Amino acid sequence: MLKLLLIGLKDLRLMFRDRAALTFMLLAPFLLTVGMGFVTGRFSGGSSGLSDIPVIVVNLDNDQLGDVLAEAFSSQELADLMEPTASSDPEAARRLIDEDQAAAAVIIPEGFTRSVIPAAGTAFDPNYVEPEPVQIEVYANPSRPTSAGVVKAIVDEFVSRVEEGRTSGMTSMLALASSGLLDPQDMEGEARQLFENVEQSESTAITLKKSQEGAQAVEFDILAYMAPGMALMFLMYTVSYGGRSILAERSQGTLPRLLVSPTSASQVLGGKVLGIFFMGVAQIGILILASSVFFGLEWGDTPGLLLLILAAVFGATGWGMLITALSRTPGQVGSIGSAMMLIFGILGGSFINLDQMPAAIRTFSKITPNAWGLDGFTTLALGGTLPSLVEPIGALLIMGAVLFGIAVLLFNRQGMMQN
Amino acid sequence: MKKIFAITWKDILLRFTSAWELLFFIVLPIVFTFLLAGGTPSGDEDPRISLLVVDEANTAISRQIVGELENSTAVLPEVVTRAEAQSQFDDRRADAVFFIPSGIDIGSLQNGSAEVELLQQPNNINATVAERAILTAIRRVSSSVAAAQNAVEQRQARQAFGSEAERQAFFESSLEMAQSIQEAAPERVTVVEGLVEDEVDYDPRANTSAGQLITWVFIPLFGISASFAYERQKGTLQRLLTTPSSKATFLFGTIFGQVLMALLQMLLLVSFGIIAMKLNWGREPFALFVVLLASALAAAAFGTTMGTFIKTEGQANGLSVMFGMVFAMMGGCWYPLELFPPAVQNAVRVLPTTWAMQGMLDLLLRGGGLPEILPEAGVLLGFAVIFFSVGAWRFRYE
Repeated sequence: MLKLLLIGLKDLRLMFRDRAALTFMLLAPFLLTVGMGFVTGRFSGGSSGLSDIPVIVVNLDNDQLGDVLAEAFSSQELADLMEPTASSDPEAARRLIDEDQAAAAVIIPEGFTRSVIPAAGTAFDPNYVEPEPVQIEVYANPSRPTSAGVVKAIVDEFVSRVEEGRTSGMTSMLALASSGLLDPQDMEGEARQLFENVEQSESTAITLKKSQEGAQAVEFDILAYMAPGMALMFLMYTVSYGGRSILAERSQGTLPRLLVSPTSASQVLGGKVLGIFFMGVAQIGILILASSVFFGLEWGDTPGLLLLILAAVFGATGWGMLITALSRTPGQVGSIGSAMMLIFGILGGSFINLDQMPAAIRTFSKITPNAWGLDGFTTLALGGTLPSLVEPIGALLIMGAVLFGIAVLLFNRQGMMQN
Repeated sequence: MKKIFAITWKDILLRFTSAWELLFFIVLPIVFTFLLAGGTPSGDEDPRISLLVVDEANTAISRQIVGELENSTAVLPEVVTRAEAQSQFDDRRADAVFFIPSGIDIGSLQNGSAEVELLQQPNNINATVAERAILTAIRRVSSSVAAAQNAVEQRQARQAFGSEAERQAFFESSLEMAQSIQEAAPERVTVVEGLVEDEVDYDPRANTSAGQLITWVFIPLFGISASFAYERQKGTLQRLLTTPSSKATFLFGTIFGQVLMALLQMLLLVSFGIIAMKLNWGREPFALFVVLLASALAAAAFGTTMGTFIKTEGQANGLSVMFGMVFAMMGGCWYPLELFPPAVQNAVRVLPTTWAMQGMLDLLLRGGGLPEILPEAGVLLGFAVIFFSVGAWRFRYE
């Protein structure tokens, strides 16, 4: 056992001396996590990275409703989300969108208010002709679909409220008129009052009760998904790096030299595997520590976290050993390992949430330690403890054991286990 | 020229010595593009966010709510049982579940006791979008009832109802009126896609196609540094000193070969975008060539400069992948740049990936042509000049 430990620690020391490898194993996932933090708004306090969306508001209506909409974009409520600029020239506004200077232009045409609310005293004029509906134009920048979508949602919300007021006013007018109870002029006044209180109109006939499971237990930090996602992806690189060292020792002749000493081949191989395991644990441990220190990330239940790390590294080490057993040269291990790192990264959810993938890919992702590891880390971030990690930890341990078994068989066939 | 071709051919042979290189050259870029685009090569699938709906009321009102959700541009409702919804939610396969409990009918809306429930995964943007869509749907359903109730109140204020039945009849006729007014309401918002109307259909997968192209082409171009380090370590660069070949010939030959392979790789990925994803890559072929060439030159120049700072091949391999991934992410190749804070959006203008991505999006999404991509191409060529100059100045055989 001591020999195994010594060989393992020797490999770990070697890893810490390889500055290039360290940069790749530690700095790359850290920088990518920072990028993810920007995208998800983790560093700006939002639920997405969207803020200060540049929008151009062209209010040609210059009437009641147009003014309300224009003011809505400058309201305190939207101050962090929107950065509106007023313009009076629709063509200039469209040009700015085409030049990617803003996310969208909201063009409120002349007569918009009048198309919704007839001018006072005109609705019951026998000569009154209902105006053609006038549409607000959202001129969207196609390369900023999310921001443009937010702008459209705000306009939709506003129009929905306007429509609500209009429906209410017209229903009252028509229902009372059909009962012959009111003077038409009075009814128009009442209806107008509803239109004019558009901002206050709120439907309360149905109440929406919201709940977020797990949110009560612990506030979910999106980085608690992103940071382990990146760490697990680069863990695959680390285990193939370790595997490369086994084949490198063989090709450089240091492995036969070791076998001259009173150390068996299985002890040497076991020590090398232990070294890979140590490297993986060190890498994940450092990344977790760094994200706790620099981003204040809470990783959840400590015993669960420690066991999950060990299980994830064990599962990944199994893959590292299999790659090594299937390769002939250190270069091959490097190539296959890098490919596996990227494939497992995308399949395991390190780049995008697995929910966005087709069902078949979600099922296939279960062969990766990344998917199980991320499942466990997300459970922890949602307040889960060790008992709720039984499934991912179990799956990772089984994965590691099966892959080790296959790797040992292959090593045996290649004679690497014989003195 | 013959020497340059010889160096180029040598580099191609070296690069493709192992069949694994094909994995990085074409297989993985296509797999990543396919998966990150949602695995939807036809683009015909419904892009809306899936929303599980549990309709335990099964009344006209609950069906109206579901109908409103079906009309939503944001969510795609799927009616399931409570057990199925809860199971999917617990497994985090559903972002949100919308429950319409039994008892949701006109009566409950009239007496204000109607309450529906939304279960959301915490800190999930899809769940937030679903919430907005549900609020809009229940607002629309509520508003007709609210309008009818308002009419009842107006009537009550002017003349009391003779009986409860009369009141209910007035309410029902008002409700019918409100619903028909609502249905007849004209569309008051129109959305126009900038510049590309009638010419280019907006397709969010264009972002993925362009982003992955840049990622997978830039990484091997940054890897020119590894090729320099390899030759330096092996001593083959020193051997060149004994031949009548200048430093410029060697550098030009190496870079020419890598840029040529990058252009071939780009061509294959663009072809995949056109054939499999039906993207508009081929709309302005010359402008596309200009932006691809400028991007490849900028990346190759960066790799050349890196090669003069890095000592070993191992270092170069790791750093080129790291720089490639980080530059791609921060340049908007993985996630739209609009999602980054404004300060970061400005800061990443120092990266060639940002300009390459902008140039490609000008062509793919903004319907631009040669004049529109010239600024981006200019900046990329500027990068190329600066980095080639630094690389050539610092280049050493030993």
